[in-house]
Amino acid sequence: MLRFVVRRLLVTVPMVLVVVSLTWGLIRLAPGNFYTGEKPIPPAIEKNLREKYGLDKPWYVQYGKMISNTLHGDFGSSLKYQGQPVNSILKNALPVSATLGLLAYSLALFVGILSGTLAALRQNSRLDYSSMAAAMLGISVPNFVLGPALVLLFSLTWYVLPPALWGGPSHLILPVLTLSGLYMAYIARLARSGMLEVLRSNYIRTARAKGLPERQVLMHHALRGGLLPVVSFSGPALAFLLTGTVVVERIFALPGLGNYFINANLNRDEPLIIGIVAFISIVILIFNLLVDIAYGFIDPRVRY
Amino acid sequence: MNPLQVDVAGRLASVAVAACLLATLGCSSTTRADSSPYFGKAEPPEGQTLRYISGSEPESLDPQVSTGQPEARIYLALFEGLTEYHPVTGQVIPAIAERWEPNADNTEFIFHLRQNARWSNGDPITARDFVYSLRRGLSPALAARSAYLAYYIKGAQAYNEGKGRAEDVGIEAVDDYTLKITLATPVPYLTGLVAHQFFRLVPQKAIEKYGDAWTRPENIVTCGAFKVKTWRSYDRLIVVRDPLYWDAATVKLDEITFYPVEDSTTMMNLYKAGEVDGVYNHTVPYAWVDELRPLRDYMDKPENAVEYYMLNTKKPPTNDLRVRRAFNMAIDKRALAVYRRVVKPLTAFTPEGIYPGYPQPKGDPFDPQKARELLAEAGYRDAAGNYDPSKFPIDAMEISYNTSESNKQTAEFVQAQWKQNLKLTVPLKNIEWKTFLDSRAKLQYSGASRAGWVGDYMDPYTFLDLFSTETGDNGTGWSPPEYVAMLRAANTQQDPAKRYALLAKAEAFLLAAQPLIPLYTNATDWLKKPYVKGMYANPLTLHAWKFVYIEHDRSKWDRDDPPASTN
Repeated sequence: MLRFVVRRLLVTVPMVLVVVSLTWGLIRLAPGNFYTGEKPIPPAIEKNLREKYGLDKPWYVQYGKMISNTLHGDFGSSLKYQGQPVNSILKNALPVSATLGLLAYSLALFVGILSGTLAALRQNSRLDYSSMAAAMLGISVPNFVLGPALVLLFSLTWYVLPPALWGGPSHLILPVLTLSGLYMAYIARLARSGMLEVLRSNYIRTARAKGLPERQVLMHHALRGGLLPVVSFSGPALAFLLTGTVVVERIFALPGLGNYFINANLNRDEPLIIGIVAFISIVILIFNLLVDIAYGFIDPRVRY
Repeated sequence: MNPLQVDVAGRLASVAVAACLLATLGCSSTTRADSSPYFGKAEPPEGQTLRYISGSEPESLDPQVSTGQPEARIYLALFEGLTEYHPVTGQVIPAIAERWEPNADNTEFIFHLRQNARWSNGDPITARDFVYSLRRGLSPALAARSAYLAYYIKGAQAYNEGKGRAEDVGIEAVDDYTLKITLATPVPYLTGLVAHQFFRLVPQKAIEKYGDAWTRPENIVTCGAFKVKTWRSYDRLIVVRDPLYWDAATVKLDEITFYPVEDSTTMMNLYKAGEVDGVYNHTVPYAWVDELRPLRDYMDKPENAVEYYMLNTKKPPTNDLRVRRAFNMAIDKRALAVYRRVVKPLTAFTPEGIYPGYPQPKGDPFDPQKARELLAEAGYRDAAGNYDPSKFPIDAMEISYNTSESNKQTAEFVQAQWKQNLKLTVPLKNIEWKTFLDSRAKLQYSGASRAGWVGDYMDPYTFLDLFSTETGDNGTGWSPPEYVAMLRAANTQQDPAKRYALLAKAEAFLLAAQPLIPLYTNATDWLKKPYVKGMYANPLTLHAWKFVYIEHDRSKWDRDDPPASTN
């Protein structure tokens, strides 16, 4: 187990370097520059800018600096947002995205597992049909529809919740609901199919045959196996949610990583793009590792 | 899941979607039905606080480093220069300079500074602060993108390009409160120019102490009517009234919160829900304009900005004047303005109706018959000499524009006009912004390329100047020496009326050569709550915040604002 974890962690470093190198190359290929604005600038001023930011140096010097920055975990200063180190931007934006993502995912897990399990227990009942219909709806309605629809009802018709911005807990409700919709629906369907399969398996029949109360059969035996698909789904889903969700952060004008990321790309803000990409890839690698470790605990057949 | 189940679930889902949509439509029609003259909630915030959406996240709070409008809106609260923009007209009013006098040929200006101006840390503001600020703005190491605005000042360009010395820049502190600016060419509009963010004062001590980090809220020193309280990126910037400001008695607001919001639907939601009191210009989505225009919230005035199509004068077929004129005459600008809803038609190049006393020339009128004749004359004709669209090299012509819904709509309209009037279907090409700028600057586009220009100062010259060099913002390849000479002659003119007449002559010359197709003058198109007073629809949509206040007395909401007293 320990060897497995150490090995996986060691692989993380070269993988992140590959990801940032590819990203760096793509930024080079994209036309324009961080200083190309609404009004083109005179060549002399452009020369001053290129000298100031080291863009006049050969590509391998710039590349080497980027790699060394990444290895040190210090991405330098944003080009667009003067005087703001990338690390402090990450530090400010991450809590926003993480709060949003964690709350949304907790809500999705709670509602999803509950309704999925109930649906599986009462297969073909009215409850099953209605919760699966709701899940189908949740999967098919994109968040850029769900978000504005919620805003229309709660903020513009009933005037009970703020339509956007970051502030108190009331500002969290609509974005969290919007964000969790899709995941809730997925989890409900995963939980339902997982549970259906497990409930028909031999070890559940054994548990029932030896006279365990239904509650214990469910909580101790069925759920563990039935929720495996949910666990494997959770790794990438959480990594994605925690590192910022572009659409929801934009609709609700939230100061999270997603908003920074999309603008960093539009602005060709190289240090910021590299910083966010490196950060997101680390988070994804770690969450995949956590999922693999969790398997070992949940599924007795998996051993490292 | 068996097929039947899927079917049931699918049907339920579609019924639910339909129900939601119905509910949505129902809601919006009920809100429209109420007869309030205002859009959404109209309840003033407590006390004298204003919540304003200022646009994208500010790049920086350094007025010399950032170049955008979102920052400019904020700087009117935080930094001052020699002059300021009038809250109603956008013309010049005094700021730190109390008064000024130019010399005989507009090449030297003396500014007399007021003696009670202070920084937010209490230090007095003197002429030396202006000398420092300008030298810093021009220093090659700072690499300020707007530095070219100061190239009119003697020695400025050389210093900025690394060929001259800071000491040779034509700005001099005659004494503590007298500043002399010497220009390289006559610049009659200098006082309007120096209200631009690039010329606002920056604090020498803080910059020397903290370097790039001087704009962090804990380090920043400002000189405007307000000072920074908190700043959280992508969240909000809160500024509070500065009691040390020289004109603190005029300032009515205690606090302004600037929200960086970019999505216009989100802005409208915030505005309607009463979470913000005002938004910046061009923010009302088209679909909403007809509904909002009759309301008192809607701010509609022509702007110091134009929208036009550049024509590539170096590449066939648009290198032929007849072709350029034909394509211009085949567009009904009036119909375009009606279609675009929030704009005013434009046939000349400078915006119409915002420069009092400017005898603006007229461009070619809408005349499809003449347009076809011109194309026939240019060689696109059949044996009988009639215009023949099949002879036109349509592959060499396109309309390229930077990706945006509104640019697309305009391009589609122009395309339809050309199809209808010239029987030519010119392809449209949308390009991502930075790529687009590149293709325009290098004259790589074919035919027409979308362009917009926002004036740097309130004078026709800010538009006419675009064609005074072939590089930079020109984008058409057209810049004959006669035209440059006409502009120069206008600027050495002392008498403002005579100068305007000369500028109008240059504009007529430009229109006759048709390196561009004028489309429309932008309109302000923004919203403010009825209780926000002292904030006007001016051509710049830049508001001197010291005149703005919250009116809690409902009976005064619908009255016109009293004209601001601008000592």
